Amino acid sequence: MVSMNAVLLISFLLWSVGVAGVLIRRNALVILMCVELMLNAANLNFIAFARLSGTVHGQAFALLVMGFAAAEVAVGLALVVALYRKKGNIQVDEINLLKG
Amino acid sequence: MEQLLIKLGQYMFVIFGLLAVGGAGVLIFSKSAVHSVIGFLFSMICVAGCFLSLQAEFLGVAQLLVYAGGIVVLFLFVVMLVELTKYQEKGIFQTQTKFAIPLVGLGLLAFAGVFRTALFGASTNEALTLQPGLVGATENLGNAQAVSRGLFANFILPFEILSVILLVALVGAIVLAKSERV
Repeated sequence: MVSMNAVLLISFLLWSVGVAGVLIRRNALVILMCVELMLNAANLNFIAFARLSGTVHGQAFALLVMGFAAAEVAVGLALVVALYRKKGNIQVDEINLLKG
Repeated sequence: MEQLLIKLGQYMFVIFGLLAVGGAGVLIFSKSAVHSVIGFLFSMICVAGCFLSLQAEFLGVAQLLVYAGGIVVLFLFVVMLVELTKYQEKGIFQTQTKFAIPLVGLGLLAFAGVFRTALFGASTNEALTLQPGLVGATENLGNAQAVSRGLFANFILPFEILSVILLVALVGAIVLAKSERV
């Protein structure tokens, strides 16, 4: 039997690694993967709280979040490919079209 | 040996969770994008193991299918399409990283007391103990049946909205990624 605190701590660690990846990496692909990591940390919390409350609502909602993550990654990767066509690279600090 | 296995079963969640955090570390610290994708795959498989150890069997298998089967392959295809090697020498991290790392260390230090009381405090462990089983699972339903009842009884509108969003994302991805000449 695992305690709820361990679940919350693991989820927090996964989420913070995801945030760190989004903030410090320059590669847009890695940033997308880190966003997926953060969504998975949220899913872990949903499932843990479903288990805590004894109902399946959290699990059903985690399934919906998984579907949204798939939609997001499809659009994100299409944006990365379009960006590569336009600019020739996908390093996010090189993309400053809107910079004044 | 038997005692060891029982202990391992008890701590399965923590083991899988720490392995997932390790895979995430490989994801953000490796130089090559392919290594990042492999770390992401490992992390997702370990998160599926976490789901399984939290009695969410359907979601664990769905996680394996969606992430390991679909999203990782999609990422690998884009890594194949996009040439990344010529920008490798500028460094993989943003320029602000060297200021950010001491700040994060300071923040972790500020949270250390919270972690200590949350993990080893006496009163917090009893308030949050997990239920032994799901409510729906008591009527001899499997996990997939229980989840589907929860989904279609309470979340039918989000489910339909999700299907529309998936369709929009499909069309949008094709429009964004197709070349402009066609």
